[in-house]
Amino acid sequence: MNIIVCVKQVIDPEIPPVKFKIDPEKKEVVPPPGVPPVISVFDERAVEAACRLKDKQGGTITVISLGPEKASEVVKHSIAMGADEGYVLNDAAFEGLDSFGIAYVLSKAIAKIGAYDLVLCGRQSADWGSGQVGSILAEILGIPVVTLACDIEAADKNIKVKRVVKDGYEMVEAPLPSLVTVSSELGLPRLPAGMRIMIAARKQVPVWKAADIGAEASELDKAHVEITKLSVPTRKTECEMIPGDSPDQAAENLAAKLAELL
Amino acid sequence: MDNKGVLVIGEIVEGKLAPITIELLGAGRKLADELGEELSALLPGSKASGLAKDAIACGADKVYVAEDGLLDSYNSDAYTQVAADLCQKALPSVVLLGHTDIGIDLAPRLNGRLGGGLAMDCLALSLDAAKLLVSTRPVFGGNAHAEVVSKSARPQMATLRPKTVPQAKRDDSRKGEVIPVEGKVDPSALKVKVVERIKEEVEGVKLEDAEVVVSGGRGMGSAENFEMIRELANVLGGAVGATRPACDEGWAPMTLQIGQTGKVVSPKLYIAVALSGAIQHIGGCLGSKYIVAINKDKEANIFNVAHFGIVADYKEVLPALTAKLKELVSA
Amino acid sequence: MSPVNATYWGIPGYAIFWVLFAVAFGLFAWRLRFLFRLMRLGKPQNRFDHMIKRIKTMLVEVVPQWCNLKTVTRKDIAGVGHALMFWGFSLFLLSYIIFIGLAGGFGLSSVIEQTTFEIVFFSILDIAGIMVTLALVLAAIRRYIIRPTRLEPSGEAAIILVLVFFLMVVNVAVVGFGYAAHDIQASWPPLGSALAGYLSGTGLAQGTLEGVYQGVWWLHYIVIIGFMVYIPRSKHLHILVSPANILFRPLGPKVELEPIPLEEAESFGAGKIQDFKWKDLLDLYSCAVCGRCHANCPAQLSGKTLSPREVVLNLKEHLLETGPELLAGKTSDKSKTMIGDVVTEEEIWACTTCGACQEECPVSIEHIRKIIELRRNLVLTQGKMPESAQLMLGNMQLRGHPWAGVQSLRLRGDWTSDLDIKVLAEGDKAKTLFWVGCTGALVERNVEATLAMTRVLKAAGVDFAVLGDAETCCGDPARRAGYEFQFQIMAEQNIETFKKHGIKEIVTTCPHCYNTIKNEYPSYGGKFKVVHYSQLIADLIGQGKLKLNQEISARLTYHDPCYLGRYNGVYQEPRRVLQSIPKAGIEEMERSRKKSFCCGGGGGLMWIEEQPGTTKVNHVRIEDVLKTGADTVVTACPYCLQMFEEGIENKDIKDSLKAKDLVEIVEAAMKQS
Repeated sequence: MNIIVCVKQVIDPEIPPVKFKIDPEKKEVVPPPGVPPVISVFDERAVEAACRLKDKQGGTITVISLGPEKASEVVKHSIAMGADEGYVLNDAAFEGLDSFGIAYVLSKAIAKIGAYDLVLCGRQSADWGSGQVGSILAEILGIPVVTLACDIEAADKNIKVKRVVKDGYEMVEAPLPSLVTVSSELGLPRLPAGMRIMIAARKQVPVWKAADIGAEASELDKAHVEITKLSVPTRKTECEMIPGDSPDQAAENLAAKLAELL
Repeated sequence: MDNKGVLVIGEIVEGKLAPITIELLGAGRKLADELGEELSALLPGSKASGLAKDAIACGADKVYVAEDGLLDSYNSDAYTQVAADLCQKALPSVVLLGHTDIGIDLAPRLNGRLGGGLAMDCLALSLDAAKLLVSTRPVFGGNAHAEVVSKSARPQMATLRPKTVPQAKRDDSRKGEVIPVEGKVDPSALKVKVVERIKEEVEGVKLEDAEVVVSGGRGMGSAENFEMIRELANVLGGAVGATRPACDEGWAPMTLQIGQTGKVVSPKLYIAVALSGAIQHIGGCLGSKYIVAINKDKEANIFNVAHFGIVADYKEVLPALTAKLKELVSA
Repeated sequence: MSPVNATYWGIPGYAIFWVLFAVAFGLFAWRLRFLFRLMRLGKPQNRFDHMIKRIKTMLVEVVPQWCNLKTVTRKDIAGVGHALMFWGFSLFLLSYIIFIGLAGGFGLSSVIEQTTFEIVFFSILDIAGIMVTLALVLAAIRRYIIRPTRLEPSGEAAIILVLVFFLMVVNVAVVGFGYAAHDIQASWPPLGSALAGYLSGTGLAQGTLEGVYQGVWWLHYIVIIGFMVYIPRSKHLHILVSPANILFRPLGPKVELEPIPLEEAESFGAGKIQDFKWKDLLDLYSCAVCGRCHANCPAQLSGKTLSPREVVLNLKEHLLETGPELLAGKTSDKSKTMIGDVVTEEEIWACTTCGACQEECPVSIEHIRKIIELRRNLVLTQGKMPESAQLMLGNMQLRGHPWAGVQSLRLRGDWTSDLDIKVLAEGDKAKTLFWVGCTGALVERNVEATLAMTRVLKAAGVDFAVLGDAETCCGDPARRAGYEFQFQIMAEQNIETFKKHGIKEIVTTCPHCYNTIKNEYPSYGGKFKVVHYSQLIADLIGQGKLKLNQEISARLTYHDPCYLGRYNGVYQEPRRVLQSIPKAGIEEMERSRKKSFCCGGGGGLMWIEEQPGTTKVNHVRIEDVLKTGADTVVTACPYCLQMFEEGIENKDIKDSLKAKDLVEIVEAAMKQS
C-alpha cells in the first residue's frame, strides 16, 4: 500500500500557559525561547496509522510537510517511525496560506509524488487547528474522505475505518484511493527504534519549491479567510480558596458551598 | 456572486430538532436581522417535514426539507451532496452548522466543495462594520482567540460550539415557507458506507448533558484512585470526565476525555481533581458556570481559572467532601 | 606399597588406574569442551586488556578468598565457612595430585612414601579435614535447619555435602588401613595413625587389612575422579569457572554497558541466548547459587517476580537446553523464547539497576547488563515496553527530557529566572559547569534543592556557569530503559556542548548524571572531570570556604543513593559534610553504604510503572528510615528525594518525617543566626 502522510511542524503545545505570548500586530504567536518545535500531535498519529498499515500490508510511506526549512525535523521524525521518504515544501509564496492554499500546495506535491492508495492527515493542526485541510485536499484530489479515524484496517481494495463520534464509534468502509484524517484516539505513536533513528538522522530531506511542484501564484494568492484579530483571552477570576484548618475541614466547607450553589 | 441570506444546516436527533439547531436558529435570526436578509434552515431525513414548523417557530423564514430516508442517519457523502446542491441553488451568504459530529465532518467538505470561507468551533458570531461575518474561535489549544473574516469567498461558513449561545425563543405565530429539496441521493454514488455504530456504554449521566462534571487528571495516580471521582460524581448526580493524560494511562475511556480534542462541556459545576489545568484541557471546561479545583500544587494553572479551590492532596479532601455532600444531598 | 602396584584378577593396577582416569577425564573434558563451545556462541568482547592487573586481582580475590570474606556480615558468616572449605580442599587437591597421581599413577610411591614430607603433609591434611568437616556440618545445619532466605534446600547441595564429607572420612580410612596393613607404627598424622592403632588392636589378619586398604584406596580414587566428572555437570562448575569470571570482570565500573555497533542491522540487544556476549555466558556457569543477589534485590524484597538468581539460572538452563541445536546450526521451533518463557517481561521491567546483586555476588556475575540487553531487545527490536516507558522515552525523543507533561508547568530554564548566575550563551566559555539535570530543573520539589545549591556555591565563592534551557537530559533514563540509540544521540550532543563552551569540570546534584557523564561519556569521546556536589561541599568545608555554624536540631539519617554509593564508591563525603554540622546526630540505617536499599527510582523506574508486587520499593526503604527514629532522611539524589516524598505522603507521615536533599541541610547549617 502506498501511503502519503501530510505532517506539520508546530510550536510545542506543552508550555506553561503563562509563557504563551502573541504579537497582536503581526497576528502571530511568539515562539517561546529554548523550546524546540514539534510534530503536530495528530499528524504523528497519522504517521503511526500509516506505519501500522505498512507493518501489515507492506508498501511505502511518503511524508510531506509544508513549512519552514526546519520542518525537515518532523519529516525525519516520521522516517524514524517508519516512513520511507519525505519532502519539505518550502517557498516564500507558501507563507501565510489559508486552508485552501495549503491543500492546493499539498495536492501539487502529491501529484508530483505520483500514484498513491491512501492519503493521511491529522484531523486538525495542533496550532491553529482549523480542521479543514484534509477535507479540502480530498475534494481537490477528487477522492472520498473519512474524518476522525482512530483505527484503519486494509481489506482488499478497501479500508475499514473506525471513527470517533460523541458517544462511541462508527465503523466505516471506504474504497481506495481515499483520504483519512486521524484523531488522537488512535493511541500512542510508536517509539522510533532500532536503526531507524540513525537512518533518519542522516537523511537529507529534499526541499521542493513552488516551481518544483508547479504551484501557480494565481492559486496561492486566493485567500478565502483572514485573521483580523488575535488576542489572549483574560479570565478574571480570583479563585476563592475554601478555608479550613485541615483538608477534612476544608472539604466540609466546600461541600456546604456547593450545596448552596446547586 | 450575489449571495444572500443565512442558512442553518439543521440536525434531527430522536425525532426532534437538536438543541444545537435551535441555538443556531437563534444566532442565525440575529445575524439575518442585522443583515436585513432571510434565515433558512435545511432539515434532512424522513422526519424533516414534520419538524419544519418547529424550525419556523424558532425563527426560520424558509425551511428546505430534504425528505430522504437515506439522510436519516449521517452519511458524509450524502449530506455533503445535498447541502452543496442546496447552497449552489440558494446561494446563501452565511452557512451555519453546529460543531458536532456532523458539523466537524460536513463543514470542511462543504467548504471545500463550495470554495467559501470556514471557521470551526466558534465561540461567538457577529457582523463587523462592513456587514461581514466575524467568527471568534479558539486557537493554540485555547490559549488565544482569533477573529476570522471571509472578505470575498462565499458562503461565509462557521461551526458553532454547542451551548455558547442561547436557544431561539419559540414563537408559534411565525410564518414561513417549507420548500422540499428536489432530487434524491443516488445510493450508488455514495463511496463511503457506514457499516456499524457502536455505542460506548458509559455508566451514569452523559458527559455533555450533565449539570455536574467531576474530572480527574494525571495526579490521580492510578485506576483505583479514579473510583473516588466516580463516587463523587454519583453523589452529585453528575458525570465523570478525565484529562488526556488520565485517558492515556487507561484510567478512563477516551470518550470521557475533556479538552481540546475531547469533549467540551459547560455544566453548572465542574470539579477538577488532581489536574494541572493545562490549556488543552481547560479549553474543554471553561464554559462551566462554576469551576472548583482541588490540587496539591498551589501554582497549578487550574487555580487561575477556578472559582473555588482547595490546595491539598485530593486523597485528603475527596473522602470528606463526598461524605459531607452525601449527607447534605439526602437531607 | 601403593595399591596401584598390585594386580587384580590378572589386570595390573596401573591399567585399571589409567583406564579409569582416561574415562573420567574424557567425560570431564568432553563436558568442558561442550560448555566452552556454548560460551563461544556469545558475541565477542574484549576483556583481555591489562592482563597483569587482571591476574593480580584474580589471585587476590581467590587465594585469600576475599571474594567470600567481603560478603561476611554479623548475620551471615557463611563466607568464613566457604573460605575454610576452599583452603582445606585446596590442600586436599594438592594431596590427590601428589599422593594419588604422582605416587600412585606415576609409580613414585616408593620415593614419597613414609617421607617426612608425606607425614607432615598428611598431618596438615588431618587438621584441614577436621576444618572442612566442621564447615560442612555447619553448612548443612544452615541449609537444612536454619534455612536462611537466600538458600534453598537443593539436591545438588546435598550431594556435594555428602561427597565431600565422604572424602574427608575416607581419606582418614586410607591412611589408617594403609598403616595398619603395613604395620607402620606412627603417631603422625594424628587421625590416620589413631585409626591404624585401633585397627592393629582388633587382631584382623594382615590380608584382610590389606584387602580393605586396597578397597578403600580404590573407592577413594573412584569418588575423586567421579567428583571430577560431576563438577562440570553441577553448580560446582563454579570451582573451575569463577576464577576466570573474576579474571574477566570489568576493570572499571561494575556495570559496563557497551554502545551498540552500527553494523548490527538485524536485531539489537539480546533476543536469543547467543546474542549475549561470551562473558555473559561465562557468568551463567559461575553461579554457585548462593542466593545473595536474590536476598538483597529490592524488587524481590518488595514482592516482584524478579529474582537475579533465577534470571541467571534460567538463562543457564536455557543455554544448556538450546545449546546442542545451536552448535549444530539449527534452530528449533519448539524451543522456548528467551524473552517470555525463560525471562518474563515482568521480571525485565522490575529491575531498578541498583547494583545490590553485583555488589553481593562473590563470583562477580554481571546481572545488570543482561537485564539491559534484554530491555534493548524489547525496545529497539520488538518495540515492546510498558506504556509508561513509551511515554517517557517518547518525551526524551521529542523534548529532550523524561518528564512528560511537566513542561506544561515549567520550562527547562525557568529556574534561572531572577537569579544572578551565569547562563552560558552561544560562544561563552566557562571552566566549571553546574549541571542541574532534568529533575532538578523541571520538578518543583527538586528545583528547591537546585536553588539551594546555587546559593551555597555562591556563598563559597565558587565560579560556575549553567546551561539554562540549553541543558538536555544526560540520557541515563534512556540508556537504562534500553533505548540505546537515543542515549547515543544525547551523549554526543552533550559532549559537543561541553566542548563548545570549553568546559573542563562538571559539578552535578544528580548521581545518575554524575555516573553517566563520568563513566559512560568517555566511550563517546567525552572525558571531563566530574564531581558530585557532596564531594565538592566536603572539599569546600575542608578548605574552610564553607562554614557550617548553625546547629541543626533534627535527628538525621543518611540514605546512600545507589548511583552514588555502590556505583561510584562515594560514601564518606556526604557523611563528612553532615558530621561537620554542629550537634547533628546521624543515625545510620542498618542497610547503609554498600548495603543501602534502593529507593526504587533507578533503571528508569522513576517513570516506568512498578511491576505487581506486595509493596513498593520506596515504601520498604521508608520502613528502614523509620526504624532509626530519625525525623529527617537526607539524601543526595533527586530521584531518591522524589521517592521519599512520595512514600511520606503515601504513608501520611508528613508530620513526623521530612525528606531533605543534602544541600538543603547544608544551607540551613550555613545560616547565621
